[in-house]
Amino acid sequence: MSEKKSVGSLILGKWNTKTIVGIAIGAALFAVLMNFGGIKIFTNTSLTTAMIVDVIVGALFGPVPAALTAFLGNFLADLIGGWGFWFDWSVGNGVLGFFVGLIPVYAKQFDEGVFGVKEIIIYVVTVIIGNALAFGVVTPLLTYLFYSQELTITWGQATAALIGNASVQIVIGIPLLLFIANRNKKSSNLTKED
Amino acid sequence: MENRLFINLKPGTTFLDRLTGKTKVRVFFVLIFLLIATWDIRFIAPLFILSIIGLVSIRPNAKKMTVALIVILLLNLFNLLLMFLVEPDYGLGVVGGSTVIFKITDFYIVTKETMWYFLVRLMKFMATFIFSLTFIQCITPSEMAAGLYSVKIPYKVCTIVSLAFRYIPDITRDFNNIRISLQARGLELDSKRTGIMTRLKQYILILAPLVITSFDRVGMVANAMDLRGFGKLKKRTYYAEHEDTKGDKIMAPIILILLALFLGIVACLIIWPPAFEVWCPWIK
Amino acid sequence: MPEPIITFTDFSFRYKSQTEETLKHIDLTICKGEKILILGPSGCGKSTLGNCINGLIPFSYDGEIKGSCIVAGLETRKANLFKLSSHVGTVQQDSDAQFIGLSVGEDIAFSLENNAVPRNEMLELVDRAAETVDMEGHLKDVPYDLSGGQKQKVALGGVLHNDVQILLFDEPLAALDPQMGMTAVDLIDRIHREQDKTVIIIEHRLEDVLFRHVDRIILINDGTIALDTTPDELLRSDVLKEMGIREPLYISALKNAGADLSLLKDLENAEALDISPVKNLIAEHFHKNEPSLEKLESTGEVLVEVKDVSFDYGGDYSLDDMNFTIREGERISVIGKNGAGKSTMAKLLTGIIRPKKGEITFKGQNILEMSIREIGRLIGYVMQNPNQMIAKNIIKEEVELAPRLNGFSKEETDKNVEEALRMCDLYPMRNWPISVLSYGQKKRVTIASILCLKPDILIVDEPTAGQDYRHYTEIMRFLEDLNRDYGITILFITHDMHLAIEYTDRSIVFSDGNILADDYVYSVLSDKETIKKANLKETSLVTLAEKAGIDPEKFIHAFIEEERRQRTDGK
Ligand SMILES: Nc1ncnc2c1ncn2[C@@H]1O[C@H](COP(=O)(O)OP(=O)(O)OP(=O)(O)O)[C@@H](O)[C@H]1O
Ligand SMILES: Nc1ncnc2c1ncn2[C@@H]1O[C@H](COP(=O)(O)OP(=O)(O)OP(=O)(O)O)[C@@H](O)[C@H]1O
Ligand SMILES: [Mg+2]
Ligand SMILES: [Mg+2]
Repeated sequence: MSEKKSVGSLILGKWNTKTIVGIAIGAALFAVLMNFGGIKIFTNTSLTTAMIVDVIVGALFGPVPAALTAFLGNFLADLIGGWGFWFDWSVGNGVLGFFVGLIPVYAKQFDEGVFGVKEIIIYVVTVIIGNALAFGVVTPLLTYLFYSQELTITWGQATAALIGNASVQIVIGIPLLLFIANRNKKSSNLTKED
Repeated sequence: MENRLFINLKPGTTFLDRLTGKTKVRVFFVLIFLLIATWDIRFIAPLFILSIIGLVSIRPNAKKMTVALIVILLLNLFNLLLMFLVEPDYGLGVVGGSTVIFKITDFYIVTKETMWYFLVRLMKFMATFIFSLTFIQCITPSEMAAGLYSVKIPYKVCTIVSLAFRYIPDITRDFNNIRISLQARGLELDSKRTGIMTRLKQYILILAPLVITSFDRVGMVANAMDLRGFGKLKKRTYYAEHEDTKGDKIMAPIILILLALFLGIVACLIIWPPAFEVWCPWIK
Repeated sequence: MPEPIITFTDFSFRYKSQTEETLKHIDLTICKGEKILILGPSGCGKSTLGNCINGLIPFSYDGEIKGSCIVAGLETRKANLFKLSSHVGTVQQDSDAQFIGLSVGEDIAFSLENNAVPRNEMLELVDRAAETVDMEGHLKDVPYDLSGGQKQKVALGGVLHNDVQILLFDEPLAALDPQMGMTAVDLIDRIHREQDKTVIIIEHRLEDVLFRHVDRIILINDGTIALDTTPDELLRSDVLKEMGIREPLYISALKNAGADLSLLKDLENAEALDISPVKNLIAEHFHKNEPSLEKLESTGEVLVEVKDVSFDYGGDYSLDDMNFTIREGERISVIGKNGAGKSTMAKLLTGIIRPKKGEITFKGQNILEMSIREIGRLIGYVMQNPNQMIAKNIIKEEVELAPRLNGFSKEETDKNVEEALRMCDLYPMRNWPISVLSYGQKKRVTIASILCLKPDILIVDEPTAGQDYRHYTEIMRFLEDLNRDYGITILFITHDMHLAIEYTDRSIVFSDGNILADDYVYSVLSDKETIKKANLKETSLVTLAEKAGIDPEKFIHAFIEEERRQRTDGK
């Protein structure tokens, strides 16, 4: 993937069948992890690992697919998990997905295995901004508008989500990205040792 | 594990089940919009009753339903409790009155209006929830895709939805296999034995292969779709979307009426914004 | 003169990410109504050739094309995929990945949906297609209830519409047990005859494909056409052996006997074959080295005892009153058709699922009281798909994982890891990234990552599925060595009868959740009754033995031993 790509095309991603399937499988993975992939912290609260899916989809297909993945993934997770229909959170996740999915825009050679300190720093920044915007602003706003919920509480819940997601996306997300990046590396001059 | 999920892959036989995806999706969205738009119990109460009728009418798995309902009910009550703790006299703001029933402390007063608001809110949320539960119980993924397509959502997006449903059970199975094979190799997931940080790190060991195996599919699936002409035309038809039944013909006008009602309500809210958000019989 | 429908002229292709051409100067003509089999070692370019015919190249694989490839009158380089797909129907290897719909009906209808065919017409077409592949009874079934074979049928049904002229199959049998393989081959043949389509089959399992007549076999090697001839010619020659492709067993047997194959007609079909001209020869050869049929009763200490174990998933499927023992140092094959319960049994042994009734003991102690983790130290389970087991990037890290998680000391970890790496001779490559390894090597990494816990028993699920003969033997020899040199007890799960005979001493046959037989492998697998009940397929050696009037059990035994000798001489 050496040829130059405009930022615009990088953000939109290639809209071929592969991307469609990628988003679909991403959304499915998101829903599965949302329902089964929780990490217990205390007895009745648990961190969800679903939030790393939009990171991966972003890395592979770009931010817009990532946003769609998170949005649909959350929608599906709520439906199949029997949680009702909370599209204020779906939208929030979509926004978050977009930010954490920006990887191809700044890590242009991710698919050649390049993901260094610089990229990691940018990634962390996007994670923080994304979460802040998604669950600090968008979701509470929507919740307030549509369910006119007491803002303090919404913010309470949002902050919890914000911290949880951010930590998952950083603690798990970074090693996972490195794992995938390394997998893409074209390994040259492998020698047998003894 | 598939049976832990709330969607059915095979269409049922009740009245709602036999509707087309088109109708199901429309009814669902218009009802949800309606519920979101209004805080007036004169609309919400009937909708609430309707939602229960709907849910019962599809004869769902009683045990699963009760569990889900109770969980959500508790969640909502907890939420209300929080609201009360933060702002006991909430009713004053949204209903426009503060008739004290009794005092707990000087700050924590229980007012008729607040209770009224909480009642309305609870109904509204439960109705929303029950509708979506009914919806997911009576629709198959393919019907959902067809239905979304019928409301002018691009079919590529609709395909994403049905495809996702297609792969959820597969991925769930992979997830379990991977988790177990790692446990057999010594992974300790018991929250009592390991700290949260280690468990976060250990989860990478599960997620790495899961992500890889999941996305390894993409190329092959995409090829299989391309080879069968996916994305060839601007439009698409659906095998799962059967012809309108009598039920659909009955529902069509009802949908229109509900839609009109929704628009009406929104219009009113814009033209004559009510003094207080929540209508209340004893507040003029 | 039949008219050509596919013509490659001096055609070459290079994948964008590759430096060398994968296909080199292909000249090939396929005529309307022909039935072609494409053979070749793994990685030689078969699928690539297939993808050039169905248009995936260049549509979804970037690369550089030289020369011309004309399919149904269209120059594939210029025509778009959709135009081509109305002429070429493709069925791929992975029956699961290509099942797009959420029910049989939908999946068959998929291409019609994409062509926006009105539903009322669609129904008719789907029913017709479903009938052709006899799945009409299953239109409402969901993919998760279907066997691999049924999924393949559905995939075939899905490409039969808008009267495609060319049917392309890329390893359609890979995941199927012999019986289903036969059904599939038969079905393909029927469609070829009844709807006179042009059929192209890419497959490793030569013998299974030859179960029905094919007109021509094209042998690909390293991106060029090595041979283009009739089955009989190919079987008479020795190129297959040279290229490391498995000959049909009965052919090898005939050749071993030194029979002059030019005397025989319909070589390609063991059933039809008339061996009278060489009958005596075979008999003589057999008696020259007739095997002593002493059963090598294992005397090892009893490791595992399964006592009246029953299990069910809550569905209609169930395992009932299983009873068997595993002794130290044994090589056991667990065989049975798809869905017989083989993997389920493995899961029971490894504590992944727990019996509803009965008990499983390891050296006398009840494993039902142990955690998966504890059992993992005693019984290692190698899953079918290596990618599902690999959690690290570097071989060494992957192998170190288990000891680490089990809290071994640094020294012990290093010791075990080095040993495991050496056993799987991966030690020189220990610092390589796993992503560059071949399937077989990956498999070895996963085995090493289990071995470093020093389990007494190794359960390997379908070690060779979808492998070509070279990798297949590579993996199996390696497991054989593990058993011989390190005395590790090995349990294979497979539905390849010959693999069982070749590499194991004892065989447990599963059928619908019951143990049909549990005995010396030769006696089990030459017993017609068992084979029929388990709905497996007897090897062509049995057929040959009967024609030659020799006791099949002894004949197979003799054959295997001869092969072994040849191998060791070859080494
Ligand atoms: N998408 C791709 N990009 C780059 N190289 C590829 C791609 N697909 C295949 N190759 C390479 O082309 C060569 C031929 O691959 P191909 O899949 O055609 O072999 P094959 O004969 O089908 O093997 P098998 O029998 O294992 O399916 C291999 O060396 C492979 O590494
Ligand atoms: N997790 C599960 N839940 C419910 N049913 C299952 C599950 N896993 C397997 N089954 C069913 O149990 C039966 C036996 O499955 P199993 O995988 O043991 O067969 P198998 O002999 O390994 O087949 P194959 O040769 O295809 O691997 C099948 O009918 C399958 O559908
Ligand atoms: Mg291939
Ligand atoms: Mg199995």
